Amino acid sequence: MPLLAIENLAVSFETDEGIVDVIDGVSIDLAEGETLGLVGESGCGKSVTALTVMGLLPKPAGRVVGGAIHFDGRDITSLTSEELSTIRGRDIAMIFQEPMTALNPVHRVGNQLAESYRLHHPEASKAEIREESLKLMDHVGIPAAEQRLDEYPHQLSGGMRQRVMIAMALSSKPRVLIADEPTTALDVTIQAQILELLRDLQNEYGMAIVFITHDLGVIAELASRVVVMYAGRVAEAAPVDALFASPKHPYAQGLLASIPRLDSEPKSLLPTIPGVVPRIEDLPDGCRFSNRCAHARDACWTDKPAIESVATDRTVACLRWRELEQQAAASA
Amino acid sequence: MTSYFVRRFLLILPTFIGVTILVFTLTRLVPGGPIERMLNEAALAGSEGGAVVSSGFDGRGGSVLSDEQIAQLERYYGFDKPVIISYFEWLGKIFTLDLGTSTRYTEPVWETIKSRLPISIFYGVATLILTYGVCIPLGIVKAIKHKTVFDNVSSALVFFGYAIPSYVVGIACLTLFAANLEWFPLAGFVSDDFDDLTTMGKALDILDHAVLPLIAYLAGSFAVTTLLMKNSLMDNLAADYVRTAIAKGMAFKRAVFAHACRNSLIPLATSFGNTITLVITGSFLIEKIFNIDGFGLLGFESLVERDYPVVMGILVISSLLFLVGNILSDICVAFVDPRVKFGSGGSNQ
Ligand SMILES: Nc1ncnc2c1ncn2[C@@H]1O[C@H](COP(=O)(O)OP(=O)(O)OP(=O)(O)O)[C@@H](O)[C@H]1O
Ligand code: SF4
Ligand SMILES: [Mg+2]
Repeated sequence: MPLLAIENLAVSFETDEGIVDVIDGVSIDLAEGETLGLVGESGCGKSVTALTVMGLLPKPAGRVVGGAIHFDGRDITSLTSEELSTIRGRDIAMIFQEPMTALNPVHRVGNQLAESYRLHHPEASKAEIREESLKLMDHVGIPAAEQRLDEYPHQLSGGMRQRVMIAMALSSKPRVLIADEPTTALDVTIQAQILELLRDLQNEYGMAIVFITHDLGVIAELASRVVVMYAGRVAEAAPVDALFASPKHPYAQGLLASIPRLDSEPKSLLPTIPGVVPRIEDLPDGCRFSNRCAHARDACWTDKPAIESVATDRTVACLRWRELEQQAAASA
Repeated sequence: MTSYFVRRFLLILPTFIGVTILVFTLTRLVPGGPIERMLNEAALAGSEGGAVVSSGFDGRGGSVLSDEQIAQLERYYGFDKPVIISYFEWLGKIFTLDLGTSTRYTEPVWETIKSRLPISIFYGVATLILTYGVCIPLGIVKAIKHKTVFDNVSSALVFFGYAIPSYVVGIACLTLFAANLEWFPLAGFVSDDFDDLTTMGKALDILDHAVLPLIAYLAGSFAVTTLLMKNSLMDNLAADYVRTAIAKGMAFKRAVFAHACRNSLIPLATSFGNTITLVITGSFLIEKIFNIDGFGLLGFESLVERDYPVVMGILVISSLLFLVGNILSDICVAFVDPRVKFGSGGSNQ
């Protein structure tokens, strides 16, 4: 049984233009200790999925309208806010895209770190908390931890703040860490350091990580399994190697073709996926990718593709994937 | 942190000098200058409209200064010397609190002002405490209960108070609670037998006299601050760091108080200086209605009566109050927002 199972989740937002189905039937499994990559273009619903797991959907606009999220056998979408706060932060922790705003500017770093430690260790004494905080800061690679604890977030660089966020998330030794584009706002060199840190920490703590990004390169480096989302649905879910070797969904194929490879011709133009993601309220009825898909047929515009199993641990949601694979095999 | 405050205090001096230069320039224009003409017109317009409530007021535009008084004024402001010299002499006088002699009361201006100051400060501070004491909690509750019945009803109430001019509230209160029901005294800051009362009695007497004027002062003052607090808190509730706090496992209610509240006080702290000055300089209408001898009434009467030394004195004192108010609000901001103290440069205005 997976540790975290998102089953056929549907989330809608109430906007000025009416109700939009931002997440429509998403299923994702996460096993204990594994690293799962979640990729997709901006706006496809990665953050909303993560926030739903955390019970942090913006209220009252966002609502879970279908499906379930099982954590350790319990459906957490039906929990009250209080029940949820015993899981939030303790079992499932999250770090965010924007380290610049994720920390409270008016509280010292040390207080914010101590706060999360105290939430999960209410019996801890002041001295213990201080000691643990120093250890955590050290652990996430913050030099001069003693001094940093007494500083305010604006005195820290973006990378340092993200390390503080990671330290806060780790303070409860969570079983799942959701990292929502934790490096997008950082310099490339800092990005690499943070990724390295997450990998080391995972080896040490053994938690499962959901790593959200639109960078397939990062996925290749970090994750063992990958879920490709498009416009609020899962297009394809597969082990990383399998996906990189032979993507089945036309959108996943497009994504992979658009990353540079060592064996491609130097300075040649990378293929891109034509068009843009339509606004969710303007999506086609059938396959949500049909207006951009080179292989779209009439049926694609009207029939919603079912999630089909390709192999063990591998699914795809495309009406024509088998057909397309045969064509590819024939032309090869 | 201390250095920030020291820097901030050192800034008072040049700013104050700047203000005095402005005020001094004004004195060069009166009497007989454009200011005097302006006053004439204002007074005339006022008497025609019949709205002016001043007592010692003749239809022609207030009491006219005698030649002797004008000569005295010119001596005080050093009209016979070069501008620079007379400015510094005048500045020297101001620093020793020699603000000239009131043409109306024929006593030193500082004495006149000093006798009004405690009254104004009492009302100013009371209004301030009550305003913030009501608006901050009310704003917090309104933000948490956004769009509920409580939120809508309280909005309607504060805007109702805001829409009615404070002197109307004052007159209504006075007619109803003082004249008809006789629950409260009609006017004044204290009773005539104030000096004979015990300490406790004195306090009660002041309170008794203060209830109605305070209602008049406060009725309109809730709307802006309450709404500022509410909106500011709502912004902060949607902020990333509140989400972080909840993601850490903190209950929503606690996150509101531990994380959002302090941050949403920042805009309030910024406006604190303005509020305190406005409040202390008072409203001459309310002071007139309740016959309170405060700053506002003094300023108004001095203007109508052409009591220039008092007008200038009040100008100097209220600019000083304004400066102090600004510093107070900077200190408040620095207390709630650590980013201020470490910023480069002293002033963040
Ligand atoms: N508060 C909200 N109200 C209305 N719609 C929202 C809200 N938050 C998100 N959405 C919609 O949900 C969709 C998914 O947004 P989400 O933030 O999950 O995208 P994402 O995949 O995380 O993108 P990015 O890579 O840019 O972070 C978007 O189309 C967005 O318009
Ligand atoms: S279902 Fe049709 S439109 Fe959608 S990805 Fe497959 S081929 Fe393209
Ligand atoms: Mg996102």
